[in-house]
Amino acid sequence: MRSAVYRLENLQVRYGNRLVLDVGHLEIGEGSILGLEGPNGSGKSTLLRVLAFLESPTAGSLLFMGVSASGCDPLALRRQVTLLLQDPYLLRTSVFENVAYGLRARGIREGIRERVFHSLELVGLDPASFAGRPWKSLSGGEARRVAMASRLAIRTPVLLLDEPTAGVDAESAVLLKSAALKAREEWGATLVVVSHDMAWMSQVADTLLAFQDGRPGRHVVHNRFDGPWSEQDGGLWSMSIGDGQSVVATKPPASGRTGFLDAEDITVAVRRPQGLSMRNAIRVTVLQMTLENGSGAVLLKGACGNRILTARLTRSSAAELGLVPGTEAWFLFKASAFQWE
Amino acid sequence: MEFIAQGFVQALALLLTGDPETWSAIEVTVRLTALSMLASLLLGLPLGILLGSRDFPGKGWVRVAVDTCLSLPTVVVGLLVYAFLSRQGPLGSLNLLFTVRGMAIGQVFLALPIVVALTASALEGADPRMMMTLQTLGTPPGRMMLSVLRELRYAVLAAAVTAYGRVVAEVGVSMMLGGNIKWHTRTITTAITLETGKGEFSMGIALGLVLLSISFALNGALSLFRRRAAS
Repeated sequence: MRSAVYRLENLQVRYGNRLVLDVGHLEIGEGSILGLEGPNGSGKSTLLRVLAFLESPTAGSLLFMGVSASGCDPLALRRQVTLLLQDPYLLRTSVFENVAYGLRARGIREGIRERVFHSLELVGLDPASFAGRPWKSLSGGEARRVAMASRLAIRTPVLLLDEPTAGVDAESAVLLKSAALKAREEWGATLVVVSHDMAWMSQVADTLLAFQDGRPGRHVVHNRFDGPWSEQDGGLWSMSIGDGQSVVATKPPASGRTGFLDAEDITVAVRRPQGLSMRNAIRVTVLQMTLENGSGAVLLKGACGNRILTARLTRSSAAELGLVPGTEAWFLFKASAFQWE
Repeated sequence: MEFIAQGFVQALALLLTGDPETWSAIEVTVRLTALSMLASLLLGLPLGILLGSRDFPGKGWVRVAVDTCLSLPTVVVGLLVYAFLSRQGPLGSLNLLFTVRGMAIGQVFLALPIVVALTASALEGADPRMMMTLQTLGTPPGRMMLSVLRELRYAVLAAAVTAYGRVVAEVGVSMMLGGNIKWHTRTITTAITLETGKGEFSMGIALGLVLLSISFALNGALSLFRRRAAS
């Protein structure tokens, strides 16, 4: 398992009395890509500024590479992370000096030209014709690519991108996206990307978090049942899931259709309950319990034969149930809880 | 009217023939203002950046105090600094009264508030993304000030030129702290005052022309610099 670059616990940012960011739990693994989406003002950009160490949380803890950020030198932290603003600011100088700035700020004297040229190539700008140009002579898309190149040149372990492709031409958008992925390929950068480009995000992001009112939303975790379903007495349909057990559902649209069961709709018990209205009580062996990114709820994975089912429960219920990996548990859910493909 | 025209002709002759008395006043002025501006910029730019970029308790009052100092009467500054530098004053032992360095101290009180106030205003009006960009590119604190000054160079230059305009044209501080001693502390403005009083218009006009030329050259250079940057 990849180690966590960031770990946020009950982190809050307030402006006066207004709560603008409230993250229960968030772990960002090394070399992973975290996508953030949500309406304007939902807290995404604030989270990026917190992750870039440009803003301090009002409450909660923020661990960076396993160490609490509050006790560290801000400059040392900022040198591990860089942020590309939604509407980037270029320094009032040439393209070359813009890209070289971060290197010079780090006291690097040698190999600057090579690194600047390579970074410009990564964003699809010809160094020979662009390096000498003044910042003013660039189009919007070119300026965004130069700003991106200046972040790539310093090769930070973490790259934070705020709407990197919003409002730029199609060619620049493609080049910016591929440059971001090259950062991960070339030096294993961890990426956190705010974007409305859902097609791209769903393709490349390891985790996608939807923000609303400063909080990361709960994503739907589905358990998938591919069928075939066979009709039983009483208008119910069943499907074998191995280990001598089967699930029961209300009528699927067709026997071969896939049913989805939301992890939220599963109730967990440590003993088989009696006199229950729910039609499904599946015996599982607890495999793994993890904190869900964003919500901070507990995702419990249980094995039933070859199949792994996931249930979501609150931290307090998980503590009360006293479940640990290897113990037996029961997953309870209604026959009507299935959603059909 | 004839004496004015004659004055201009004689003024040009004084300048072109290298009249020692005229050129001595010019030299003292250049030395004095260079010294006072150097000190004002070295002190004023960091203070202006701090005032414009940091929040601290009582900042509003500091701002009001700095703005009030923008219109300090030169003779009041002259009087106060005189009191400090005179024999009985706390800095009397330094023997700075009637020296160019003593005059420069007085001029710093005129130029410093301008440099601080205009630099702070430039920072307050600067693009908020600038600071964030410099921080996220890993700028260390020592380099931050230089980078900010570089980004705001036109506003900073305008502040410097405005401050220079104030010190090069003032009479009160130079007269009171310098004593208008020929060959030593006589500046362009104190010389003009003296010569005009004596009815010697030609030297006054010659020095006035030099003063205007300095002002024109500085503002012309600033405007050229800006235009080049804008193109």
